[in-house]
This record gives sequence, C-alpha cells and structure tokens, in this order.
Amino acid sequence: MKCKEASAVLIIRVGDAFCRSCFKEYFVHKFRAMLGKNRVVFPGEKVLLAYSGGPSSNAMVQQVQEGLSRDAPKKLRFIPGILFIDEGAVCNQSWEDRERTMSEIENILKATSFPFHILSLEQLFTLPQTMLQMNLAEIPKRDGSYKQAVGSFLGQQKAQAEDGVSDAADRLTQIHIADNSSVECSQSAAFSRPAAEHTAALRDMFNSAKTLTAKQELLHLLRNHLILHVARTHGYSKVMSGESCTRLAVRLLSNISLGRGAFLPLDTGFSDNRYGDVVIVRPMRDYSLKEISFYNRLFNVPSVFIPALDTKASGNSSIQHLSESFITKLQADFPSTVSTVYRTSEKLHVSRTDTTQPKNQQDKCLLCMCTLDTHTGPASAFFATQKSQQLSEKKSLKNVPSAKDSEKQCCNGGQCCKESASCTNSVTGTQDIVHLLCYSCRVTIKDLNSMDKLPSYILKEAEHRTRRMEMRKEIEEFLLDDHSEDI
Amino acid sequence: MPINCSSCETQRAVLRRPKTGHSVCKECFFRAFEEEIHHTIVSAQLFQPGEKVGIGASGGKDSTVLAHVLKVLNERYNYGLELILVSVDEGISGYRDDSLETVKRNQQQYELPLKIVSYQELYGWTMDQIVKQVGLKNNCTFCGVFRRQALDRGAMMLGVNKICTGHNADDIAETVLMNFLRGDIARLRRCTAITTGSEGAIPRCKPLKYAYEKEIVLYAYFKKLDYFSTECIYSPNAYRGHARAFLKDLEALRPSAIMDIIHSGENLSVKEDVKMPVQGTCTRCGYISSQGLCKACVLLEGLNRGLPKLGIGKHHKLHHKLLAQEPLSEAETRKLKSIDF
Amino acid sequence: MVAPINLQLEFGGGAELLFDGVKKHHVTLPSQSDPWDIKHLLVWIKDNLLKERSELFIQGDTVRPGILVLVNDADWELMGELDYKLQDQDNIVFISTLHGG
Repeated sequence: MKCKEASAVLIIRVGDAFCRSCFKEYFVHKFRAMLGKNRVVFPGEKVLLAYSGGPSSNAMVQQVQEGLSRDAPKKLRFIPGILFIDEGAVCNQSWEDRERTMSEIENILKATSFPFHILSLEQLFTLPQTMLQMNLAEIPKRDGSYKQAVGSFLGQQKAQAEDGVSDAADRLTQIHIADNSSVECSQSAAFSRPAAEHTAALRDMFNSAKTLTAKQELLHLLRNHLILHVARTHGYSKVMSGESCTRLAVRLLSNISLGRGAFLPLDTGFSDNRYGDVVIVRPMRDYSLKEISFYNRLFNVPSVFIPALDTKASGNSSIQHLSESFITKLQADFPSTVSTVYRTSEKLHVSRTDTTQPKNQQDKCLLCMCTLDTHTGPASAFFATQKSQQLSEKKSLKNVPSAKDSEKQCCNGGQCCKESASCTNSVTGTQDIVHLLCYSCRVTIKDLNSMDKLPSYILKEAEHRTRRMEMRKEIEEFLLDDHSEDI
Repeated sequence: MPINCSSCETQRAVLRRPKTGHSVCKECFFRAFEEEIHHTIVSAQLFQPGEKVGIGASGGKDSTVLAHVLKVLNERYNYGLELILVSVDEGISGYRDDSLETVKRNQQQYELPLKIVSYQELYGWTMDQIVKQVGLKNNCTFCGVFRRQALDRGAMMLGVNKICTGHNADDIAETVLMNFLRGDIARLRRCTAITTGSEGAIPRCKPLKYAYEKEIVLYAYFKKLDYFSTECIYSPNAYRGHARAFLKDLEALRPSAIMDIIHSGENLSVKEDVKMPVQGTCTRCGYISSQGLCKACVLLEGLNRGLPKLGIGKHHKLHHKLLAQEPLSEAETRKLKSIDF
Repeated sequence: MVAPINLQLEFGGGAELLFDGVKKHHVTLPSQSDPWDIKHLLVWIKDNLLKERSELFIQGDTVRPGILVLVNDADWELMGELDYKLQDQDNIVFISTLHGG
C-alpha cells in the first residue's frame, strides 16, 4: 500500500490495498488522467453530463466539480451542464412517484451550482424530424492541436485576470446559471407534467415490444436521441456519460449477443463520434463499480436509486440482464474477467469504412445511427439468416411493397408530398423501415408488434429516406459520379 | 390443433424450426436445411470441381450429418468432388471404440471410403496413457492439439485437397464468446472464418457453419441417421462450459442469438497495431507453428520426458533448451513435474 | 455464551428494495453460544429481515455476486469476509452494484 501508515479500508485487486486518503487521491487522479490522456475535451467547450441519478453518475459529477474548483492543481477547463431524464412512464410509475424522484434529483443538482435540465422521456414525441439527420455542416473544425487550444485558452485567461476580471470559465458558468434561472424556476415550482397522450403513447410503444430485451434496447436508443437533441439545442458539443468499467464489460457481452459486433468500439469506447457534431465521452470507464460504490460511501456522495425496467427481474428475463448475471458470477470465480474483456475491447476499432465520411444518410442506421453493417457479401451470417427466412416461408408471401406503389395509393397521380399532414395512413410498413436499419436494430424491431407506435420523428424520417432511396434508384444511371450528398 | 407447414402450406407441420420459429413439414425442413448448406458452400466458394475432400468423421451427429448432406449435395448439384471419411482414434477405451464402429457403419451406409489415423501410430501415446501421466485437468489441451494435427496428417497421407469438419453454428458462437471472455484477440479474429489454414497446411472449412445444433439433431432424427451420442468421458473444459451455458440461456431467450453472435464475430475489426503472433514452422516436425517448436512437439517432449506440465502455460524460454537437447535445471524440472488431478 | 450484539445494518444501491425500502436497520442479535460472524448474520437476515426474493441477496452461504459488503466502512475482504467476528455497535453496509448508473 502506498503510504504504509494509515490502515487499509479497501482492496481493489489482489495486493492493492488503499487507505482512505490514498484511495481518494487515486480516484481523483484517474479522472484527470483519463481526460488528459484522451484529449478530446477542449477548454471552454460546453459539456453535457448525462445524469441517471445512480452512483456512477454522481461520482462523475462530483469529479467534475472537484476538477473545476478553483484550487485544483491542474484545473479542468470546460463548461458543464447536467441533464436528467425521467423515464418513469416506461416503468409504469405514478406521477407522484416520478415527481418525488425528480425533486430529490433537483436538490442534488442544485447543490452543484451547474446549470441543469430535467426532462421527461415523453418529450420524444415533440422532437423534430430533422433530428435523425446527421449535421455534417456543424462538425467543429479543429485546426490546431490540443496543446495549442489549451495554450490560447490560458493566454486568454491570463489577459483577463490581469484586467481584474474573475476566471473566464467561472464567468461563463455564472452567465449560464443566470440564463437558466428562469428555466429552473419554472421547473422547481412544479415539474411540468407531460401531456397525458404522450405518456399513453410512450406506454403503448413499450408495451408493443414483446420481449424485455427489445424494451431495454429501445429505451437505450430513444434515450440517446433525447440526449442528443438536448445537447444540440443548448449548444453542447460533448456529452459525458458515466458508464463504469463493470457496466461496459456487461454491455460488451450483451452487445455481442445482440449482433452489434461491428459497433463495439463506439458503444463502449472512450469517445463515440457517430453523431458527428456531438461526441459522447465516457470518463468513468476505468473505474469498477466497486471503486465507485466505495468512493461514494466514504466521501458521502449522494445517489438516488430509481427502479429500471429489469429491477427485481429474474435471471433470464432479458439478454442484458443475463449478461450482467453471467459476468458478475464469472468475475467472482475468475477475478480478471472484467479487466480482460475491457482490454480486449480496446484492441478493436470500427471497421475502416466507417472512419471515412459517410457517403450519404442512407448509410447510417435510422435508430442507432451507426454505419450500416448489412452490406456484407453473400457468405455471411446476415445473408444466411435471410436465406433461411426465405426457405421457410411460402414464396408468395414475400412481396416487397415498393414505396412507389404505396405512394400512388395515398397521393393522387404519383405526386409525392414530402411533408404532408394528410398523408397519415402509415405508408411505411415494417418492410420499408427494416432496410434502413443495422442488423441488431432489425432484430430489435422484429420484436415489436407494430411500427406505428414509434414517435413520429422516426417514422417521418423513415418515409423520407425510403423516398430518397426510390428516387435515387430511378435516376442512378444518370448520376455522373458517386459524390457525397447531404441527403 | 394441426397447423400447416408455412412453406408448402399443404402438408401438416411436424416440427418447429429452432432457427426461425417456423412450423414446417418434414420434406420442407429437409429441403431448407440442405439448401442452406448448399448456399453456404456456394457463396463462400468452398470447393472446386475435381477436388478430393476429407470429411472429419468422429461418429458424432455433426460429422454424420455433414457426410450425409455433402454426399447428397455433391450428387444433386454436381460439385464433382471425391469424398473421403477421415477418422481419428485417440485411444480412449470404451468411448472411442464405439464411435469408430459408428463411423465404419457410416462408411458402408454412405458408400464412402474411410481412413482411420490413431494417436498410437502418430505419436506413440494413447489418450488413456496421456491421462495417466497428465491427470484430468489439462488432458483436453493435449487431445485438442493432437487431434488437429492427426487430422492434417491423415489428410496428407491421402492426398486430400481440403478437410471439412462438422463445426456448427453453436460451436462457432461459443468459440466467439469464449475467445472474447479470455481476451484471445488473435483467435477472435480467425474463429468466424469459414475456411482456415495458412501456407503449407491443408485448408479446413466448416460447411455447417450456419446450421443450428438443434436442427442437426432434428435432421438426423427424422432421416434416421446413425450416430453416437455420448460425451467424451474425460470431463469437458471448465471454461468452455461457462460459455456454453450462457449460450444456451441466450438461445432460450432469443433463438436468433446464435446467428447474431456469429454476425458480431464476423464484423469485429481489430486495430492494425495490435501484435499478432507470426506463423512459421516447427523446427522439429515441419508443422505450422508460431514458436520454434509446435505445440504438439512440446507436449510430446513433456510426455516423453516425464514432465507433464511442459506445454501447459507459458514456458517459451525452455523451448530453446529442449531444442538444443540441453538438460533442464532442478527448479525447472520440478515446476514442470507437478500435476494436479 | 456471547452477549447479545447491537448492530446497524444499511442497505443501498437498490438492495433496500428487498427490505421494504428501508435503508437503515438497528438490530439486536440474540445471545448464543458461538460468537456471531457474518456467515451467521446472513442467515439471520434471511430469516428475519428479508421480505422477498432471497435469491437476489443471498447465494448459497454468501452474498450474491455484485453485492459489496463494508464492515465499519472498510472492505470486508480485508476483514476476513464471512469469518469476520461481529462486535457490538458494528456497522455493516450492503451495497448492490447491479443496475443504475
């Protein structure tokens, strides 16, 4: 043990015992080192902390506070905001329970003095259609290196300090609090209860998922959409998510089982740039849940326990839950399991076709927004599954309704209306949406009873992309080259 | 309540396909099962006309079904292949004798030539003798390594161009999981490849790669194929058992999970700067190896010298000593001798 | 004979759901011939406090993997785990690390 004087309170690995103060030092240092090593968070950047109320989120917020505080040796230099999403409707919680939870959360967040936003998942039904389109134009151009950016930021600060103005970052934070104070007031008075029809629509959508696995996947996808939306509309270019090492090892295993092998580095790596303009970072990924729980306990970091979809579920209720039980049990017998899995994932990267700019929107999955992994050749598991489907069904059943035909049905004379409220009969059947999805999203969708319960921004975007695809097919022979389009 | 087959819609359905959940009649099931394997073979271009193909036959359900289906498809689609059954006798009394009898029966039933290679003739050791020396903890390592080489050597003796084995979808999914859990990045990359084998070795392929184990059993059952179904009497590898249990639980939750895992495995991409072992040849027997001595030679050396732990765990430095025929020090000998049953 | 022992038990991380949502419990273990250790405490908790789904808390004779145990704010692995002998006024904390984040 490091200091060899105080008595140990915690054992991390075999032979690695810590006393209270050494542990604190170790914990705080890891956070700094994580951000410092991966130089993706630039000074002065607005960073949204995705807060779930759980132990990892709270530890992360606390570390951000520590890092930004005046007397920190190597101060962190970004501008944080916090987002909490109330998902109680999905778990069939009563509004009273949800309100109670939200007040608890609000108290904790108020104490941080960072600007915060508390939303309900029902807000999904108010998202604009353009949400799912990748904003290629807005990717910030990072011309200089990270060091240059820090240098110039420090230079700015020094100049301002000499002017007798307080720290630039503090100033900006204060401005934000002032900006948000009106928002905060309206929220703390009483949390605005979402429209009953939205709550009902949300419940219906989740009830249309036949398996818990699909429900959990859907929740994850939709939650990310909402986070992305909030980040974009409030000018946050980064989102920090509090997943711990343990949680990520479990996610790795369940994602492999769900068919997301192509996207493992994005789903579990330090930085996830699938959206382009907003980058997700995971600064807690080197911490095990044990370390986080101990830290929170020893240093009184509060946390709120919110029941999730699979709380108290039995062992085999969903793939995610099964993976969690499996890894936890295996870890008990083979203590290097989590770290081995974690290290394996670091050796993976997204396949080469993803790092180049995507040619057009069609190449991205409608739901998870990763580059489609369904363009595999005929000698692949994907094709084999399609073949099996074909062979087991009567040939005549498998007819693909072309979008063109269905358009003719609803609009007169083939005149397509791109965005018409009158076009309400769901033109998009399962067939059409499926082509726009990656392998694992396809499997998730298969577990849904019907597609029309999905929020309108998804359905409209699906329609839009399908139409573009049809149009493109028609004019393909006339296009001169495969130039990148912003579809 | 009788329902009709979802494919032909005329006959009554007698089984539900584990792979897709469709209820189908016998004939449609046979057709679908065989067609899928045909598709696998054709899309991956596994064979060329005129090739001599060795089928790894253990007498178990996978290899029996493989042999049967290959024979059927070879005739139906004129692959133009010359098929031979190759079987390995590990020398496990009671277990292997029975399965070998099954293989001999297969030979007659399918009218295919058969070649049997034994550990005894190749290495001078039977599995029974090995277990006596090595114990029950690491015996599977020995058997796996030896069997792989035995199949290759048998094939070489016959002048075979390709070997096919009966690995099914469940096996591959299990291997993906296991390699992932153990952090074996090199194997993780290779294990979903349908054809494996590098320069100098006979390429091996897995035509049953996308066939579910349950469907293989159903096929064998309905076609009344003869196979031997007991597990090896020496206990199975503990770690693989975990992966297998997890896979079975997954399958119960979502039958497509097996294919989903294979899809994940096929789409994993390893960073370029990750160190991979370089493949060379064994200096003693010429087989491919990433070390100076191939695994089989190391294991054999251990057996012959009465050092059963040689080859289990990492003692690469000692390989040089062995190659040079130098004696090992006291401490090294002691480390390699201890066995736990 | 060992005197009765007073303990403060705490449940967190979601484990409190199995105990009617109550996080802190003051309990008194009755006097018995052998000294109390954590192994016996678990049995006692199962018989007297656990309201439901005991398999979510206990597995075999120890806690379910994923549940951390602290003895007076120190990792129980440093204190002998199941064999730690309980003392009067000890504080034992059970934190579940499953779910939430």
